[in-house]
Amino acid sequence: MVTSKIYLKPEKFIFFSTVYQKLVHQKPYHLLLFLFSILVHPFTYFIYRKRNHSNTYDQAFALRSQYYIEHGLVAQWQKEFGQQEIAKATFFKEAVLESQIQSTAKQLAQRKLQQQVDQDLQKEGIQQLSYDQFFNQQLTNKRFVALTFLPAVLFYVVLILFANPFLQFIIERILQSFIVIVGVATLVFTILYLSPFDPARNLLGVEATPEQIVNFNRIHGLDQPYLSQLWNALSGLFTFDLGTSFAGKEDITHSIATKFPVTLEIAVLSLLMAIAIAIPVGIISAVRPNSYLDYTFMFIALIGLSIPSFWQGLIFILTFALKLQWFPATYNPHNWLSLIMPIVVLGTSITASIARMTRSSMLEVIHEDYIITAKAKGLNEFKVISKHAIRNAMIPIITVIGLLFGGMLGGASVTEKVFNISGIGSYIVDKQFIPDIPAILGGVVYIAITISIVNLFIDIMYAFFDPRIRSKMKKS
Amino acid sequence: MKNILHVKLLLKITQEYVNSHFTFVFSLLFSLLFLAYSYNFSSNSWRPVVLLFFIIYAITTAYVAFVNLRIKKDLAKYGDIQKSTRMFGYPLLITILSGNIFSTSFAFMLVSKRKTAEYTFAAYAFITQLFILGIAALNLFKPYVTDTFLLAMGVFLVLSLLYIVMAILCTKYVTATEAPKWMLIPGIVLLLATFTGNLFATLLGYSLIQKARKANPSSIEKWQKIWEKILRNTMAVFGLFFIIFMFSLSVTSSWTFDYDFATENNYGALLQTPTLEYPLGTDNYGRDLFSRIVFGAQISLIVGFFSTIIPAVIGGALGAFSGYYGKSTDNIIMRSLDILYAIPGILLAIAIIAAFGANTVNLIIALSVGAIPTYARTMRANVMQLANYEFVESARALGASDAAIIFKHIVPNSLAPMIVKATLTIGGAVISTSSLSFLGLGIEPHIPEWGNILKVGSTYLETHSYVAIFPGLCIMLLVLSFNFLGDGLRDALDPKTN
Repeated sequence: MVTSKIYLKPEKFIFFSTVYQKLVHQKPYHLLLFLFSILVHPFTYFIYRKRNHSNTYDQAFALRSQYYIEHGLVAQWQKEFGQQEIAKATFFKEAVLESQIQSTAKQLAQRKLQQQVDQDLQKEGIQQLSYDQFFNQQLTNKRFVALTFLPAVLFYVVLILFANPFLQFIIERILQSFIVIVGVATLVFTILYLSPFDPARNLLGVEATPEQIVNFNRIHGLDQPYLSQLWNALSGLFTFDLGTSFAGKEDITHSIATKFPVTLEIAVLSLLMAIAIAIPVGIISAVRPNSYLDYTFMFIALIGLSIPSFWQGLIFILTFALKLQWFPATYNPHNWLSLIMPIVVLGTSITASIARMTRSSMLEVIHEDYIITAKAKGLNEFKVISKHAIRNAMIPIITVIGLLFGGMLGGASVTEKVFNISGIGSYIVDKQFIPDIPAILGGVVYIAITISIVNLFIDIMYAFFDPRIRSKMKKS
Repeated sequence: MKNILHVKLLLKITQEYVNSHFTFVFSLLFSLLFLAYSYNFSSNSWRPVVLLFFIIYAITTAYVAFVNLRIKKDLAKYGDIQKSTRMFGYPLLITILSGNIFSTSFAFMLVSKRKTAEYTFAAYAFITQLFILGIAALNLFKPYVTDTFLLAMGVFLVLSLLYIVMAILCTKYVTATEAPKWMLIPGIVLLLATFTGNLFATLLGYSLIQKARKANPSSIEKWQKIWEKILRNTMAVFGLFFIIFMFSLSVTSSWTFDYDFATENNYGALLQTPTLEYPLGTDNYGRDLFSRIVFGAQISLIVGFFSTIIPAVIGGALGAFSGYYGKSTDNIIMRSLDILYAIPGILLAIAIIAAFGANTVNLIIALSVGAIPTYARTMRANVMQLANYEFVESARALGASDAAIIFKHIVPNSLAPMIVKATLTIGGAVISTSSLSFLGLGIEPHIPEWGNILKVGSTYLETHSYVAIFPGLCIMLLVLSFNFLGDGLRDALDPKTN
């Protein structure tokens, strides 16, 4: 038996117990915490049972019940219930036996007694603890914590980490991304596994003997069952060892590692160009809505959104490389001039999207009350826009930028093909004709991982910078 | 001061004035484009045909500027456009022969004071039909035409006459709320004209029949209001026009265009520059580029349509269940869709095509799978919002099953954002289709498709650049049209502005 007075003692050590209480509400955490503290539980449970036996709760319960029975209250309840049952039976015109009514009434009376006694005892501070509550109580006990710290070290580490709402958010978000990435890898592998094509036939030609094909499949592990192939692919992805490609016997991880930075460089530069152009354009459009400037900008933005990037690339090559001869037509890593056209082409649609997004987001913010207040205070327009409006308008824009960055990495394959850049996108396209399963898998999954990391980073940045999200997190 | 403000506001809300401004700007832009292209810098000579176009467009521009000033004066003086000014619209109707859609539609707008949605439909149906007639007439310069050519041209001619008559009848007899009973007959005829793909005729027929039958007045009003809002947005109307034009062209092209010109090799006419027989020149196998582009519209529209409707239905259903049931249903569906969402659409499409091969069906499937999560998210957000409304609660109280509540009450009310989303993503699907074809991963190379034509064009970029320019222009225009229409639909259907 534990009385509630213990809760009021101020010097109690409640850190672990509050965190534990918070986490136990969510089922996955409950399970996880139980698993981590599994070594402690037999011991605690033993104590719990022992204390329960010497518990006065049962005695008090019996005493109180006795009191109710002796004062004839139970008999009275039973009579009332019986009357109710008879009234019910007559109303529905059912023929019910007297004994049946009596037994129902007795049951109901007993239940009421139980509830009544429980309530009374709780008022007096006597309650029966469940094992979970008991365990939680023990966490306030310093001696208990010290004793169980070593056997359940993971349990306490989790509690310490999750005590901070930021840390909890970050860990949850990382875990979520990890699950998504594993899902992506599994999905892409499954799609390629289901392929009706036979890489061995495609590579070795029609004249290949059955022995050659069997040999090829054995070397690349294609004769193994689905699950073991999947396990090999997943572990290969996370240990950066994807083996050799089907054609050419090159080390896939090495090829990807040399091609990925090229794509990433162009993508990041495109993104920077897009931000540098689109955000001022969007703001100007929003500040002077429905003006000629606004119409022109938004019309150009819509054209930028509608233009197919490969066609834009061809037109650029035609005008700037072939006719005007300003830039080289194909990419060359040692000539920065050759970078300009791919960057512009890759960045066009994202520039258009960001400009449109900035405009609508700014328009929404500009009509908020606090902007009117700022204007009413006599702040000039430039300050209102730069200090008050842009900051709040930026939040949805950054999310959109994160999402668009993913689309840009995906769309890079087309641009790379047009400008003959040997990046990851054109690598995937080149490999798909065989189909070279590990190479395609590696390319797609590493791009997906990059996108997930960028979005993860943006989400975490929000948690730090957006006061609304911060306060919401603290409240929960 | 007050008067000036009044006039300014009047100018802003008068559709004709805004439209004349718009027409002026675009006619000017086009005449400048023609002027720039009329002089051949490399050979220092003029291109007479282009120069002629420049002159026609420049005259149109000047005329529109004059009308614009007159409208402004009328509004300032009388607060209304005078009848004499409206008369100036009739000569402007002739510009349809120069293909200036902006000035033609402005002329139609100017000549009629009473502009019901039906009048606009009839006018655009007429313009569309005339354009199709003109495009099909280019086949007359070919050595031979299809067997159905004359019949189809005759039908087109009769239909365009019907549309212009309908436009006149609409101004006379149709009001915003009702139409005379005998309008049922032309309404049914117009619905039959749907088989030529002219959807303006369908819209006109449908709304005429509704009004003539004196159906539910609230639904007529709703229909009328939505279309008024869409038609008020000039760019959205042009978008709709171009889409319907392309659609109608691809429906009727098999009657007036010979498929052989687009697919059969003709080694006597390799890489010809544009002439009247080959309006856009020929490609490296001597195939007529113009016919190829016309037939390419079919594929683009089919793939665009299916790769939008399939994910919209699947994603919409998943999103609806997820939003309605919440809790673990929501968690399971949305978390698994997160996996799909993490892969960029085009990469997923490449992976699927790599696995199952490049053909039209696989392309549609590949593009559809990647688009499911966005639709599911849109639908889920709508459903979550709607599920808390009273009408859902009352339906539940009346004992409606979950399926009935979702499909009868929630889904119809959350369709508007889905329609907008779908319109905006068809454009993306068209771009993806041609991009994948360009990479050799889309439509089979022998089928005339815009991406395939561009792929050929990219190899002859230096010597025969027109092979690459025209199909790209078509893609861009089609996508631009879908984007404009989508923006217009969003403005019209957005409950926030209602």
